[in-house]
Amino acid sequence: MSASSPTIAGSVPEFRAAGTDLSERRRSGVSRGPIVDLPVTSGTIGIDWAADGSARIGASTTISAIASDQRIRDAYPGIAGAAQGLATPQIRHLATLGGNLAQRSRCWYFRNPQIGCLKKGGSGCPARSGNHLYHAVFDLGPCVAPHPSTMAMALLAYDATIATDHRSRLSIPDLLGNGTNGAADNALEPGERIEAISFPAPLASERADYKRAISRTYAEWPLVEICARALVSGGIFQHVRIAAGGIAPVPLRLTACEAALEGKPANAEVIAQAAQLATSGAKPLPMTGYKLELLVGLVRDVMERIAK
Amino acid sequence: MNTMTINGRVEPLPDDPDALLIDVVRDQLGLTGTKLVCGGGVCGACTVLVDGVPVTSCLMPARAAVGKSVTTVEGIGAPELHPVQKAFMAHDALQCGFCTPGFIVEAAGFCDRWRAAKGTAVPSREEIGAALSGHLCRCGAYDAIYRAVADACAGRFDGDNFASPRIEARDKVTGAAKYTVDVRHDGQLEGVILRSRDAHARIAALDLAPARALSGVIAVSLLSDDRIVRYVGEPIAAVAARDRKTALAALAAIKLTSEPLPAVIGLDAARKDDAPVVFDRASRKKAGNVSEAAGGPAPWKQNVRGPTSVFARRAKRARNWVNEARQANNRLLVEGTFRTGTQQHACLEPHAAVARFDGAELTVHASSQWVVHLKEQIAKRFKLDPARVRVIADHIGGGFGSKAGIGAETIAAVELARAANAPVRVAYDRHEELSVAGYRPAAEVKVALLPSDRGELKALSVTAHADTGAAINSTIAGLARLMYPAEAKDLSDFDVISNLPPGAAFRGPGGPPMAFAVEQAVDEAALRLAVDPIALRKRWDPDPNRQRLYDWALSLDIWRNRTSVQTGRYRRGVGVATGYWFYLWQPKVKVEVAVKGGRIVASTATQDIGTGTRSVLAETVAREFDIEASEVEVRIGDSSLPEGPGSGGSRVTASVLPPTLTAIQKLKAAILDQATRKPAPGSNAPWRELIARSGDIAISETRGEDGKNTAPGIRSPLKDLGLLGVVFGWMMRRNSNIVIGAGVPSSVQVIEVEVDTWLGHVRVLNVHTGLAVGKIAAPQLAHSQACGAIIQGLGYALYEAREVDPLSGEVLTAGMEDYRIPGIADTPEIDVHFDEAGFDHVLGNSVGIGEVATVPTSPAVANAIFNAIGVRLAEIPIRPDRIVAALKGRTAA
Repeated sequence: MSASSPTIAGSVPEFRAAGTDLSERRRSGVSRGPIVDLPVTSGTIGIDWAADGSARIGASTTISAIASDQRIRDAYPGIAGAAQGLATPQIRHLATLGGNLAQRSRCWYFRNPQIGCLKKGGSGCPARSGNHLYHAVFDLGPCVAPHPSTMAMALLAYDATIATDHRSRLSIPDLLGNGTNGAADNALEPGERIEAISFPAPLASERADYKRAISRTYAEWPLVEICARALVSGGIFQHVRIAAGGIAPVPLRLTACEAALEGKPANAEVIAQAAQLATSGAKPLPMTGYKLELLVGLVRDVMERIAK
Repeated sequence: MNTMTINGRVEPLPDDPDALLIDVVRDQLGLTGTKLVCGGGVCGACTVLVDGVPVTSCLMPARAAVGKSVTTVEGIGAPELHPVQKAFMAHDALQCGFCTPGFIVEAAGFCDRWRAAKGTAVPSREEIGAALSGHLCRCGAYDAIYRAVADACAGRFDGDNFASPRIEARDKVTGAAKYTVDVRHDGQLEGVILRSRDAHARIAALDLAPARALSGVIAVSLLSDDRIVRYVGEPIAAVAARDRKTALAALAAIKLTSEPLPAVIGLDAARKDDAPVVFDRASRKKAGNVSEAAGGPAPWKQNVRGPTSVFARRAKRARNWVNEARQANNRLLVEGTFRTGTQQHACLEPHAAVARFDGAELTVHASSQWVVHLKEQIAKRFKLDPARVRVIADHIGGGFGSKAGIGAETIAAVELARAANAPVRVAYDRHEELSVAGYRPAAEVKVALLPSDRGELKALSVTAHADTGAAINSTIAGLARLMYPAEAKDLSDFDVISNLPPGAAFRGPGGPPMAFAVEQAVDEAALRLAVDPIALRKRWDPDPNRQRLYDWALSLDIWRNRTSVQTGRYRRGVGVATGYWFYLWQPKVKVEVAVKGGRIVASTATQDIGTGTRSVLAETVAREFDIEASEVEVRIGDSSLPEGPGSGGSRVTASVLPPTLTAIQKLKAAILDQATRKPAPGSNAPWRELIARSGDIAISETRGEDGKNTAPGIRSPLKDLGLLGVVFGWMMRRNSNIVIGAGVPSSVQVIEVEVDTWLGHVRVLNVHTGLAVGKIAAPQLAHSQACGAIIQGLGYALYEAREVDPLSGEVLTAGMEDYRIPGIADTPEIDVHFDEAGFDHVLGNSVGIGEVATVPTSPAVANAIFNAIGVRLAEIPIRPDRIVAALKGRTAA
């Protein structure tokens, strides 16, 4: 590997929330610089509700606290479902919402300390020409690793905004970028910390669901995942939002699908037709074409359950 | 100073920001019940409770525990066992035991919360599966774990009225059992290995001095004189230092200059005419061995070694018939190319050794499947007197074939201990364990199966190319000789060598890939002949053991009620497959049964890798003396004991039971002979009294030859091979110390699956396995072995595949999140049927289970999927990408 010897940043401090991502990279040697532990303050932990029914979740709130919060489950079932669906019970007890958004890529080239890549300061993406079985099917940028944050994908479906210590009201695209910067997993400025996430008030009687496609039953990074919301009023879909993860360097809204469902009867035929549009704009890599079928299948699955 | 409370005691926490909770628990406090396995939060072996909540201590910074209350497995079982611990013991919800502490901590937390909220209601399988989804067990104890957790929640283990079939179970559920990685001598150093970063290179310069100059570094040693490295991860040198961090810093300081050589990665690239050659003629003896036995000679050209076709019979005729049938478009000719994935052993306890010299005496604690053999290998390699080398393996956290011989961990530990004049531990990290510790080679298996016009099996052709890496000696096709007799068989095996780590023997080496191909071809033949697939096997396969199993399988409701290909999103199907393995036993095995200090002691230098060998010995002795197994002391896991068998080739039970039984009879006679007082007439436990009063007597017996088998159809499989078989058997006995006995351990499996055609997900609903392995020595342990073998087979069928970078040869699936073994929620209902006949000629009447039970699982799954969706999956693992591709008629990547 001498030709592509990785350069691992040695001096840039990394923030540590619960450490569920960072500890593994420290052990392997992918992360070697100084660590700055994020302080937990009353402003960064817990769930607060405004009079209009909207929620604000502190960045240090654990994933399991979100997944098990009854009011979150009622108001934002897609958020609770995403939180419940990721990682393992023991990780969910430790990991925080902010940490989940700012975690680094799970690409097996990035995680290997012997291999250089764009995210480690290298000049090329070894997955693109190598083994990219679990990588992007929407090839948006030089790095083909899918974004690892399930919560970011769910936040996208909810139009949630992120407050940092530098900026307020960042959208998910503001936070993560558009996928063209292969060197980073997010667009945070150096030293910028996520503090809280705000959700618009849910629509009256809106429905939502989350699901990931994996090979086993639990505890696997998603091949593809979907968080979708809609109102079903008089048998008609309204306010449809569908976000997908596991398919691109950033979570994507499936806008063509949304448009095809908006104002249409909430039935299996309509959903099956609209689901085919989920692949609009896809650019599969040689090994990732299968993700398109999974994407279509997941849209059908989730939207049928929302329609019921 | 920062502190935490752990198991009720206040303990200081280090200031080091990189210190993790597990480091404090294991290294600082010596609470070794908590295990480090994946280091990535995937497997759950390191789970502890923090303020009552289960978390992975391998990822949690020690700093985050400040002011918190931590409970480890040692705190769960004190002062009294938790109901979950008792339930795990009683249900035998553990095998090697390495994952068990993590499961216990999580399950105890779940059980306590459940009881507080729901009283003694019984949680569903789904609820238990979700709660324990952050834990992995490589032995596959999940079936019993479900039952244990349900019963503990239901309050059935609140009392103390329970018994365990596994005599060391208490040590395993409390975290008291010590594995090699837990051994800690005074002054012990930590050793790490410098490995090649190149797939193929010449080492131009190697300067160890900068490593030696570092403070805390005690020894730096070369591990090999070879200046050529042939795979990423090949060991080059090793360092011993006062701690792992210092040792790793020393590795980084070593100046290694290498000149890259052209490399070739994998089965397809290595077969090309212009592929770089991995082993030139002079270096061929450096290749590893993927089989359990020594291999014979074979042609070897460039990177392809073979064909090995000693098991073929009228091969040319078979080829001609197949060619004629192909030209004639004979619709009965079944042809296919099947591909299997590279399966990692993924033992949860890594390869590990702790070496210590006391003068000229060397003691090595090793995670080993064969302490006697390892002792001999160490003595030979380091030119030591074997009598002064002792290998100890009290508990072994899984082996599955990968720990049968001397490895770099042992070589490095001994070398460094000698150089440092101090005890040295070398334990692989997970990356090493999942890249350079061996694997079942992937294979491409071409099959042509030709039935005659009358529906008999006329010809079978199997050609296998195995992706053996820097190793040789794969036998896949050859195994197709010993079932389905045909008029002619063309069987050829090839090793395809490339710049990848060497493969190793793995549970039934060659059996699962052979079965995956041949059993699907037989299924296809049944379809074309319009015959029930089990009935066709019954017609083609005369083995008397399997004949009985076919009758059992035909009677299953799940088989009789199966339907044809379905439509809709979810489609269910039922499939069948057959497998066999050899009945092996090891000559010269000795067992001593003795009275020592008024107790019965059984001793032999075998080891228990989770299969239950300790308990089989204890149960056998207890039964004969009509006492409890807990009254029997079993001494194993120590090479200084009478020579015992290796835990491989399913040979242990058949090797140790006969001399144990003979020794018991002689010991009984000696006890009676020397007894000054006979037991009271009508005593309930005459032997207990006699043993307690007896002076010390020791009887040592050697495994004898089996009797002549007279039952029809029961004979040594080697007899079918004629003179060649006689020679082969003689060589096995002489070179590998293994006898292939008469009678064929067999398994027939019927599996039901449900395929989600939208998401490509396969759910295995239930597995029915019929097993003919003779008399069952310990029923619950045998059941555990059978279930575990099936679960590993399901992993092989559906999830497990090593992936490599085709350019660099780096293993990409070197963590447990990317190398995917089955979890508890992936476990189907498993119905185990033991047919105990067929081995009456075997001394002790029992043969092994571990290997035969995993052979037919992957083809049974594939045949079930075919039955569900009407498409044959020719490649495993059958992941979602392959299902959706097959449904679209595409070839998956």
